Amino acid sequence: MLNERVVIEINRIKSKYHDAQSSLLPALYVVQREYGWLSPDAVAAVGDVLNVPRTTVKGVATFYSMFRHKPMGRHLIQLCTNVACMIMGAERLVDILKTRYGLEPNSTTDDGRFSLVVMECIGACATAPAMLVDTDFYDNLTEERIADILENYK
Amino acid sequence: MITVTINGKKIQLEKPVTILKAASMAGIKIPTLCHHEALESYGGCRLCLVEIEKMPRLQTSCTQYVADGMVVWTETERVVEARKAMLEFLLINHPLDCPYCDKAGECELQDLVVKYGPSTGRFAEGKRTHPESYDDPIIVRNMDRCILCARCVRMCDKVQCASDISITNRSSKSFVEPFSGGRYNCEYCGNCLTVCPVGAIMSRMHKHAYRPWLIEKEVDTVCSFCGVGCSVVLQVRGNSIVRAVPKTGKGLNKGLLCNRGRFGYDYVSSPVRLDSPLIRRDGKLQRATWSEAFIYIAGELKRIKETYGGSSIAGIASGRCTNEDNYVFQKFMRVVLGSNNIDSAAGFAYAPAQKFFERIFGQGVTANSIHGISNSDGILVIGGDPTSVNPVLGLQIRSAHQKNIPVVTIGYMPGLKRFATNRLIPSPFAETALLAALVSELKSKRRLSDEKAAFARDINTIIENIPPVSLNEAGDVCRISPSDINNTVDAISNMTNPSIIIGRDILQRSEGHTNLLLLAALIYLLNGRIYLLSELPNEQGLVDMGCLPDMLPGVRPLAVDSFRRRYDEFFGVEVASEPGMSIVEMIDGANSNKIKALYVMCEDIVFNIPNSRYVKEALSKSELLVVQDIFMTETAQLADVVLPSLSWAEKEGSYTNLERRMQMLKKAVDGKGMEDWQAIAEISRMLGFDMNYRSPKDVMAEIARVSPLHKDIAYDDIVGDGFMWPYKGEPLRHGMSIEGIDIPDAKSLLKISDNDKIYAGMENPLFYSENLSRNSSALSSISPEPYARIGKALATKLSIIDGDYVNISADAGSIELSARVDSDLPENIVLIPNNFGDKGIFNVMNWKINPVIKSFVLDCTEVVIKKIKSAAEEVLA
Repeated sequence: MLNERVVIEINRIKSKYHDAQSSLLPALYVVQREYGWLSPDAVAAVGDVLNVPRTTVKGVATFYSMFRHKPMGRHLIQLCTNVACMIMGAERLVDILKTRYGLEPNSTTDDGRFSLVVMECIGACATAPAMLVDTDFYDNLTEERIADILENYK
Repeated sequence: MITVTINGKKIQLEKPVTILKAASMAGIKIPTLCHHEALESYGGCRLCLVEIEKMPRLQTSCTQYVADGMVVWTETERVVEARKAMLEFLLINHPLDCPYCDKAGECELQDLVVKYGPSTGRFAEGKRTHPESYDDPIIVRNMDRCILCARCVRMCDKVQCASDISITNRSSKSFVEPFSGGRYNCEYCGNCLTVCPVGAIMSRMHKHAYRPWLIEKEVDTVCSFCGVGCSVVLQVRGNSIVRAVPKTGKGLNKGLLCNRGRFGYDYVSSPVRLDSPLIRRDGKLQRATWSEAFIYIAGELKRIKETYGGSSIAGIASGRCTNEDNYVFQKFMRVVLGSNNIDSAAGFAYAPAQKFFERIFGQGVTANSIHGISNSDGILVIGGDPTSVNPVLGLQIRSAHQKNIPVVTIGYMPGLKRFATNRLIPSPFAETALLAALVSELKSKRRLSDEKAAFARDINTIIENIPPVSLNEAGDVCRISPSDINNTVDAISNMTNPSIIIGRDILQRSEGHTNLLLLAALIYLLNGRIYLLSELPNEQGLVDMGCLPDMLPGVRPLAVDSFRRRYDEFFGVEVASEPGMSIVEMIDGANSNKIKALYVMCEDIVFNIPNSRYVKEALSKSELLVVQDIFMTETAQLADVVLPSLSWAEKEGSYTNLERRMQMLKKAVDGKGMEDWQAIAEISRMLGFDMNYRSPKDVMAEIARVSPLHKDIAYDDIVGDGFMWPYKGEPLRHGMSIEGIDIPDAKSLLKISDNDKIYAGMENPLFYSENLSRNSSALSSISPEPYARIGKALATKLSIIDGDYVNISADAGSIELSARVDSDLPENIVLIPNNFGDKGIFNVMNWKINPVIKSFVLDCTEVVIKKIKSAAEEVLA
């Protein structure tokens, strides 16, 4: 299931920790980076490589919101709609994504370009509204700015 | 000394415990939901909050330890108010479907809400919903009801150590599920059911069948499946068992059960139970009355005894029958029919192993407490997976691993995979070389004891004479790297008093007797305690009651005149001094017409011995085959007379478990058969020998007089789980002579198996227990399909994947099964269980006997595997 490179990397991570369970989170990151999401098979495979029960891996993987359990688009938009961002118009941005790209929260565009996850606070209240596209951070968003930014992600 | 005051009551404690514990010791009950005595403190439900003077906030009594001078109040207004609030929070999501929920009446949440309120909730929003899961054949999950106390998950993680369920997702969306999200892929111990305080995890077997308050009686008895002998409570309504539950904290199993004990009881009410005696007339088994059957059997036995002599009659006793049944059976054979041809399934491995160790070390050497395993300083497991043969004993090993006690496993043991510090999987049937290497290495690392005792001298002589085997030699034969073996040697040589757990696989080899000798050497060098895995609930009882061809009750050798004389005097007949035939010799004897009559008590020899075809042929040659059983087994189908007997839940008597602990069976329901001892006593009477027992109690009274081991035992003394070896009896303390034990030569220690050949091996059964599990719809539903376990290397070579159908053929026959691929299994072996009528291992296994152990061997069958259909094709078809 996991390719050889990933298995080697997981084993390397495993060797850094006293017990296998401690290497669970970094190992899951490696798999998500490689495949874009954590399929049930991948979760099982991580358990097998680390010799940690599969169900334990599943429990951890589903606990943290940064792990994704269905296939994602090429780029992941994480948009904050918590209080500060909401007051500064984040919900309008959600509408724009819907009208311009057909992108609903927790879904992926038909062309597989974007996925949208609506986040709780990402710690940028002073410069709200804010979002992450993949690992890039953007704040002081407006309707025009969000369109320009997304043009850079094909 | 610590003094605490709880609700005004002064409590003195030696050492600090939690407030909850201290209160319960003083008889003060503090309500809990997430706490369970089998589990560690969790502090999740906040219901055990108490007020502690000088502490500003309420504290959870399950996590707070007492301190000297502490003053605690458990039911103040503030505490009660807090509990009420906690319950209101729980009821936000917990549905109020009590009228429909099976748990109502024994639901801990319901009881608490009745006591503390609230009577109404203020939460107006909707409840979290999650559809009830019926994906599993046995366990139904209703996660609407789950209160996330995590008792089930902690039980699965920390006690069963299976980690097959976990809490997934988080906060209000979290719930408990197995990996698949639907069907469980676990050991089905059902211990999660025991601990669930609400109706979130329930058994499907009795869903909506009754209410807890409709249970008419609860019967404390012993489980009928394996040699551990767990305490189990049968809950009875009308004349049927509605549920088997463990007693929390009680019995040697301390409230734990395995899948067989918990769900397997339904064989008792199987519709295919025998309900009337049958006599073969015109080639067909036809209904008859009891007296017709008895007259027929007595007449035939009399004729055969007079024509051919007593030694032409053979009897097979049963590890599923009580001590009393088995005692009466061997007495009937020896005294009434004049035959020493008595044996049972214990003769396959358990009895020979025990006999060998007792011969060297003295009687009772295998009678060790199961709880000792997790307290020893090392564990060596060889010859069978304890977690599947004796699951509750297996848990002791897992628990030892959690305490960082080194666990060494030799052989393929999937259940201990994550729990072994050193894991050696030798190539098939090559354990002998590995054992020899371990003995050679330990011999140099550990000085032989200079003890003067006779047994020490004997075993020292044996060990000195065992030819040395080097790590490299053993590594070559076993295909294990010598450094792995060396690491194992290091691990075990540090153990001072390890538990050595021995399964039957190691004996059922052409070199089984050599393995035994090497094991004895190893046990002596390591100062080990022996545990013999036992598949039958009364396997030890068979041995102790004298159901062996060469032993009298009390395990006294028949060959010793003084023991035999005592027996003769008691019964007024002379018992033959010649040992009888073992079970495999009986079958050969029937085949060569030496055995004319076979009396089989609750043992399915056709099903349980390799090469079913040969056994069938042999049995059909006998002039009389009498079978007592609860089901129409493969053996019963060949019988001339079949007598229905009573199942374990329908009769009384005692079982002796593998630690030689005696425990009582209690009658729970009425059955249609007759107790085994009673049927035999009736036939005996017709043959002119009165056996005037009114009940098993009378039989036990006689056992107490005949067997030196059971001297002065009173039937009524056997209560609960406390009746331990050596009772008040007189074990043979001294070891017996080692004369006649052959020391193996170097060649036999280093037999190399052919790499190109594939051998058939026997799969250890977790969900299987011969005819009982076959007739339990619950156990059959967990693993309904026959399968063959194939190593990954072999599977890749033959391009077989999980679920593909394969044909496995051998000289004895061929079978078609689905494949299960396992990466840990060596390349040239395929494991097949024996639970599926004509698709079991014994349909392809050859008939071969180890003449020293006098049992069949399992390392004699070469097979050819062919893929016939892929899993995908099967789905389409």
